[in-house]
Amino acid sequence: MMERLADFFTVSLFLQIVYAFLGTVGYAILFNVPRRFYLSCGFTGAAGWFVYRVAEVHTSAAVASFFGTLVVVLISRMLTVRLKCPITIFLVAGILPMVPGAGVYYTAYYLVTNQLSEAVVRGMGAVKVAFAIVLGIVCIVSIPREFFQLRYWRQRFRLNHLRRLRLKKNKS
Amino acid sequence: MKIQQITENKQKYMDMLLIADPQEDMIERYLDDGELFVLIDDCEIRTICVVKLLNNRKCELKNLATRMEDRGKGYAKYMINYLCEHYSNSCDIMYVGTGNCTKTIEFYEKCGFVNSHIVANFFTDHYREPIYEDGIRLRDMIYLKKHLESEVDIKKVVDFALEAGRILLKSGAEIFRVEETITRICNRFHVEYVDTFTLSHAIFVTAEHGTEKAYTKVKQVPLSGSHLGIVAEVNDLSREISAGHISMEEASKRLKEIEKMPQQKGYFQILAAGLSSGCYGYLLGANLLESVMAFFIGCFLYIWVLIAQRHKMSKMIVNIVGGAIMTALAIVILRIPGLHGIQLGGMIVGAIMPLVPGLAFVNAIRDIADSDFLSGTVRMIDALLVFVYIAIGVGLTLSIYNNMGGGLVL
Repeated sequence: MMERLADFFTVSLFLQIVYAFLGTVGYAILFNVPRRFYLSCGFTGAAGWFVYRVAEVHTSAAVASFFGTLVVVLISRMLTVRLKCPITIFLVAGILPMVPGAGVYYTAYYLVTNQLSEAVVRGMGAVKVAFAIVLGIVCIVSIPREFFQLRYWRQRFRLNHLRRLRLKKNKS
Repeated sequence: MKIQQITENKQKYMDMLLIADPQEDMIERYLDDGELFVLIDDCEIRTICVVKLLNNRKCELKNLATRMEDRGKGYAKYMINYLCEHYSNSCDIMYVGTGNCTKTIEFYEKCGFVNSHIVANFFTDHYREPIYEDGIRLRDMIYLKKHLESEVDIKKVVDFALEAGRILLKSGAEIFRVEETITRICNRFHVEYVDTFTLSHAIFVTAEHGTEKAYTKVKQVPLSGSHLGIVAEVNDLSREISAGHISMEEASKRLKEIEKMPQQKGYFQILAAGLSSGCYGYLLGANLLESVMAFFIGCFLYIWVLIAQRHKMSKMIVNIVGGAIMTALAIVILRIPGLHGIQLGGMIVGAIMPLVPGLAFVNAIRDIADSDFLSGTVRMIDALLVFVYIAIGVGLTLSIYNNMGGGLVL
C-alpha cells in the first residue's frame, strides 16, 4: 500500500491541487464573488479536493466526498467567522468539484439515449455522493458558532488557567 | 434654524453651558465624551446641549441651555425633537436629570419625558455653593426618561426589510439568511411583532406594532441568477443596521446601490468559465489535452450563455442549446486531424461545468439541512432539470451526428 501512496503523492496530485485551486477561483468569478475572497475560495477548494483524493485511494467515492465536504465546510465556517461574510461564498465554489455533476449528467444522458440500466448505476452513484455531501454539511453546520471564534477559546483557556492558579494557591 | 454637532474646541461654548450648570468642573466631567450640539438661528447660537452616551443603548441629556432672551420661542423643544430623532438609531432610552423645579419638569413632560428615578442630595453633595431656582434650594436630582422609538412607520420598515430579502433571495442566498435579515431589520426599527415565511421564490411577511392593524405583504421572487457579491454586501448592511450604525434612509439608499452592483466584465466571465471547465475537466478524469480543449469549449459556451442572459431567454433554451453547442464543438475538435488521445466524454464532462447549477445544488442541500424542505426540493428540481436539459442538448446533437454517418463515438 505504501507504494501506491508514494505513487500517488507525486506530480499528478500536485497538479490536481493546483487545478482545483484555479477551477474554484474560476467558479467564484462566475458567481460574482467579491475579489477579496478569491484566494480564500481557491484555498478552500484545493484543500477539499486534496482530502477527497487521499480518501478516495482507500474508500469509495461517496465516503471520500463525505470527508472532502467535511474539510470544505470546516474551512468555510472558519473563514466566514474570520472575514464576516456569508458562508455560501466559500461553500459553493469549494464543494463544486465533488458535486456529482458528471454523474447526474451521465444519468440524464443515458436516460435520454434510452440506456436505462447504465442510467440506474450512474444515478445511484450520484445520489450516494449527494447524500454524503448533505451529511458532511449537516455535521459541520450543527457545531455551535462560538467554536469558530478565537475569542471563545482564548477565554476558555484563560479561565482554565486562572482556575489552575487558584487551585495551586489553595493547596499551598 | 439648523442644528450642528460640534466636535472641536468645545471649551469655546463654556459660557453658554454655564447657564444650565453653574459649576465648571461639573461640566468638564461630561464635556469631553459628550456630544455637543448647537442650534443656530439667524447666524446666532440660540440653544446648546450636551448628550452623553451610556451603556446598553441609553443616553443622557446632560445640559440644555437657552439664552435668557431667547426663551419661550420653542428652540429647546426643537432641539429635543432633533435629538430624539438623531439618537433613535443608536439608543432606546434618553434620560435627563434636573432639579426639583416645576417649570423645567413641565417642559420635559411636554416633550414626552416621564418620571424615572431620583438621586437624593445630588446638588448638595456635588456643588460647592447652594443653587436656587425660583427661590427654592435644589437638593435632589430628578431623572426623567423618554423612549426613543421615533415614529415607527411599520409599512416603511417592512417594505424595506422585504426589499432586502427580495434582493438576497434573487441573488442566491439561503432561506434562513433571508428570514434572519428581515427579522433583524424589523427588530432594529422597533417593529414589535414580525413573522416571515420564505419559499424559494416568494416571501411573506406579517408585522404588527402597537395598536396598528397587522401589515402583511407578499413578494414574488422569480428563480433567477446568482450574484454572491450582492449577498455579501446585503449581509454586511444588515449587520450594520442591527448594530444601529445607520438610519433607515441611509440604509435604503445603500440597498439601492447594492442592487445595481454590476456583474463581472464579460470577457472576464468567459475566461473564468473556460478556466473552470479546463480545471474541473482534468480533476474529473480528462487528460491534459482534453482539458485544454475543454477550456476552449467552456469559453465558447459561456459566450452563448451571456448572449442568452442579455435576451432573457428561458433556462430550458439556454441549457439545451448550450449542450448542443458544446457537443458540436467537441465533435469538430475530434475531427481535427493530427490530434490523438482525445475522447468526447472527457471534453464534455469539463465543458458542462459552467452550466452546472452549483449554487442551486448547494443551496438546495443547505435548505434541506435547515429543514426548509419545500424550498430545498424546489431548488433541487431546478438543479436536476438543468442536467436533463443539458443531456437533451447533447443527446440530440449526437444522434443527429450519428445519423449523418459519423458512427458511434461516445
